[in-house]
Amino acid sequence: MAENSESLGTVPEHERILQEIESTDTACVGPTLRSVYDDQPNAHKKFMEKLDACIRNHDKEIEKMCNFHHQGFVDAITELLKVRTDAEKLKVQVTDTNRRFQDAGKEVIVHTEDIIRCRIQQRNITTVVEKLQLCLPVLEMYSKLKEQMSAKRYYSALKTMEQLENVYFPWVSQYRFCQLMIENLPKLREDIKEISMSDLKDFLESIRKHSDKIGETAMKQAQHQKTFSVSLQKQNKMKFGKNMYINRDRIPEERNETVLKHSLEEEDENEEEILTVQDLVDFSPVYRCLHIYSVLGDEETFENYYRKQRKKQARLVLQPQSNMHETVDGYRRYFTQIVGFFVVEDHILHVTQGLVTRAYTDELWNMALSKIIAVLRAHSSYCTDPDLVLELKNLTVIFADTLQGYGFPVNRLFDLLFEIRDQYNETLLKKWAGVFRDIFEEDNYSPIPVVNEEEYKIVISKFPFQDPDLEKQSFPKKFPMSQSVPHIYIQVKEFIYASLKFSESLHRSSTEIDDMLRKSTNLLLTRTLSSCLLNLIRKPHIGLTELVQIIINTTHLEQACKYLEDFITNITNISQETVHTTRLYGLSTFKDARHAAEGEIYTKLNQKIDEFVQLADYDWTMSEPDGRASGYLMDLINFLRSIFQVFTHLPGKVAQTACMSACQHLSTSLMQMLLDSELKQISMGAVQQFNLDVIQCELFASSEPVPGFQGDTLQLAFIDLRQLLDLFMVWDWSTYLADYGQPASKYLRVNPNTALTLLEKMKDTSKKNNIFAQFRKNDRDKQKLIETVVKQLRSLVNGMSQHM
Amino acid sequence: MAKKTYDLLFKLLLIGDSGVGKTCVLFRFSDDAFNTTFISTIGIDFKIKTVELQGKKIKLQIWDTAGQERFHTITTSYYRGAMGIMLVYDITNGKSFENISKWLRNIDEHANEDVERMLLGNKCDMDDKRVVPKGKGEQIAREHGIRFFETSAKANINIEKAFLTLAEDILRKTPVKEPNSENVDISSGGGVTGWKSKCC
Repeated sequence: MAENSESLGTVPEHERILQEIESTDTACVGPTLRSVYDDQPNAHKKFMEKLDACIRNHDKEIEKMCNFHHQGFVDAITELLKVRTDAEKLKVQVTDTNRRFQDAGKEVIVHTEDIIRCRIQQRNITTVVEKLQLCLPVLEMYSKLKEQMSAKRYYSALKTMEQLENVYFPWVSQYRFCQLMIENLPKLREDIKEISMSDLKDFLESIRKHSDKIGETAMKQAQHQKTFSVSLQKQNKMKFGKNMYINRDRIPEERNETVLKHSLEEEDENEEEILTVQDLVDFSPVYRCLHIYSVLGDEETFENYYRKQRKKQARLVLQPQSNMHETVDGYRRYFTQIVGFFVVEDHILHVTQGLVTRAYTDELWNMALSKIIAVLRAHSSYCTDPDLVLELKNLTVIFADTLQGYGFPVNRLFDLLFEIRDQYNETLLKKWAGVFRDIFEEDNYSPIPVVNEEEYKIVISKFPFQDPDLEKQSFPKKFPMSQSVPHIYIQVKEFIYASLKFSESLHRSSTEIDDMLRKSTNLLLTRTLSSCLLNLIRKPHIGLTELVQIIINTTHLEQACKYLEDFITNITNISQETVHTTRLYGLSTFKDARHAAEGEIYTKLNQKIDEFVQLADYDWTMSEPDGRASGYLMDLINFLRSIFQVFTHLPGKVAQTACMSACQHLSTSLMQMLLDSELKQISMGAVQQFNLDVIQCELFASSEPVPGFQGDTLQLAFIDLRQLLDLFMVWDWSTYLADYGQPASKYLRVNPNTALTLLEKMKDTSKKNNIFAQFRKNDRDKQKLIETVVKQLRSLVNGMSQHM
Repeated sequence: MAKKTYDLLFKLLLIGDSGVGKTCVLFRFSDDAFNTTFISTIGIDFKIKTVELQGKKIKLQIWDTAGQERFHTITTSYYRGAMGIMLVYDITNGKSFENISKWLRNIDEHANEDVERMLLGNKCDMDDKRVVPKGKGEQIAREHGIRFFETSAKANINIEKAFLTLAEDILRKTPVKEPNSENVDISSGGGVTGWKSKCC
């Protein structure tokens, strides 16, 4: 006990250590034992002593306990010996089990290693998965972006880019791939811009290519509506047409029916396809591109580019082909592509917000309109075919109506059409000049024969001829005019129709149309037809037959002018009583033509007379006449007689004037023959022969070759010759000189100058025989007389000169 | 004119049915032109053309007659003065050829006995419409001892040849006359001796 007290009192730490050794596992003994050595330099010896003491204590306790438990121990040993047997059995079992367990455990050991490796991998995988779960959304979005780019869904792509930048990239910004992506986005945006612009360019190319189709469709639709209206008007007009002419002219009805059928056919054609601009062109590139540029904040760039490109396209569209004016298709293509252009602009104006503004389209249209008008003005001036000009007008009207329907102002186009109308009328006049020339060329210039009532009515239906006397005659009979008359009448009406055609759809009042028609018709009659008639009359080879018939024809055409006025009135439905209605001036045309033809008849006759006169073959030095009139003159007289005998249908006044003109011309020609300065000598015999010819002329004049002359009016044409010849043949100089200047003079019409000229020619004849004159008293006396008369005549002539 | 501008004057006459082309033949010869439109001659007409044959200037006065019966009286009055007569038929019109015999009788009845005659078959360019074979024309000409030509006024075939041949035949029968003679020959009178028209 003392030792225990000493021990406790001296080293309490060792007690604690011993307690720890007893209670702590083997694994923790080390630190405990180390503390023993760390405490004192010789502590371990004391510790060993304490330890031995502790051991002896524990041995005593053990011994006590063994004594206490001896009987139990013995019992236990007994039991244990029994157990030994069982234990032996158990040992065998356990050994066997252990062997089997060891065998099985080998596989388990192997797998354990694998399991450990797997565990490590799983941990790594889990870590990777966690990281990837942050990165994958980014990659997915980027992949989606790529996919959208490939699928050309650029707007979605832009949205995706935005999400990437704002939401996903911050999570994974530390990674390099993320940096690469961030660097790539601006490039992708530029790519989207470029691709969108490329799409836009394709779109622009597409609408340029489809402009024709778009325009054609739009114009067809506008025309369809217009045609429907026109059909109604035509049906109304047909009713008027039936009452249009007194003579039941069928032309107007046939014309209206033709137009109506044509209109119906057009309607059928139009119903086959009605397409809108969206059906023809895919506008989505514009929408997408506009949207993309809006998202990218570059809307203005896009707008500027679009407008700039469209202006360029507009200029291309407005540039016509150099030979556009040659065919109607040339014009049609020009119009359809312009319409197509503006229909597209109008569509974009209404569908987009701000890409195209009304101010912009108006500016574009004004520029275009000025160009169009300049082009049409230039090209239409090349047109020489009125049908083509008419087609151009129709196309222009459809073109104007189409664009007006889209809100574009077109008044200036209609103003241009009035200019073109004037040109149209000019081309019509030229065309009709050709028509008239052909009619005159083909006419046979003889009265129209009809053999039965049917033929008679055919002529009457074409030309409003009214003559009760002719109507009563039996068949066969003849109209007084030739074929050209009804043909011209019909063609004048055709001209009026053609001129009227241009005014259709031009939104003008009936009064204006009526006025225009009358002016055009006046031009046709007073200029074109007049010119054709005059050219015909002055043709070098025209004959008397044609000229006579022309006089008759123009008389009947003149009378028909009033029917033309009625014709125009019926067409325009304007009352004759309307104030300031233009009148037809065609009457003067036919009067002028008739006068020209009459003049030409006189000219032709005189030319024939000249040809005969050139055949004259007088022997101016003959001593005696041969007793008969000259052959050439008899032929001439017979010719004139025949002419006036066969042209009995020549109007009386004209025949009389022609006959008088011929006689006067003949008389003048004969007088000129006597006074010809190249004729130096005339014998009395020649004068007497000449007198025989003049007698024949006088006989012709007195035979009344043309009825209607009063008394001896016609013979007056030869009175000058008669008195001159009488003077010389009677040698009545004393009377002539004595009575000169007296109203009652027998030789009143003999001009002293004329007498002097002729007398000197006779004196020269006498001079030629001067040698013999000395030997013959009569000749000498005659010579003296001639000299005397010559002197006296000269004084008269000189006296006249003083008066002049 | 003080003096003649020609040496001789020959008067020729064209006769034949209406529409055979008499006026066109004359027009081609005198003006070298052709008019496609048929304009019927009314009564009588003439053209004058000067030609030169064997050194002589000869004026041909060619009378063109209406073929229609109603002008018969007028046209026959010109037969007497003609020195040469051309009978014209249309090879595409058998009737006009058949009537040649009638026209020949008219000549015997109204013209001078020694008038020179010639037969013309006109429109020979229209061979596809031919009705009268050339041989027929030659035959009737041979029977009457007259010259024969097939002509075309439109295509200008044998026109000038026909007229000049007729003129040469007339010239051959004309008495020789001294053109520069100073002597006054009372018996010659005016025009050509022997051919002077005999007016009543």
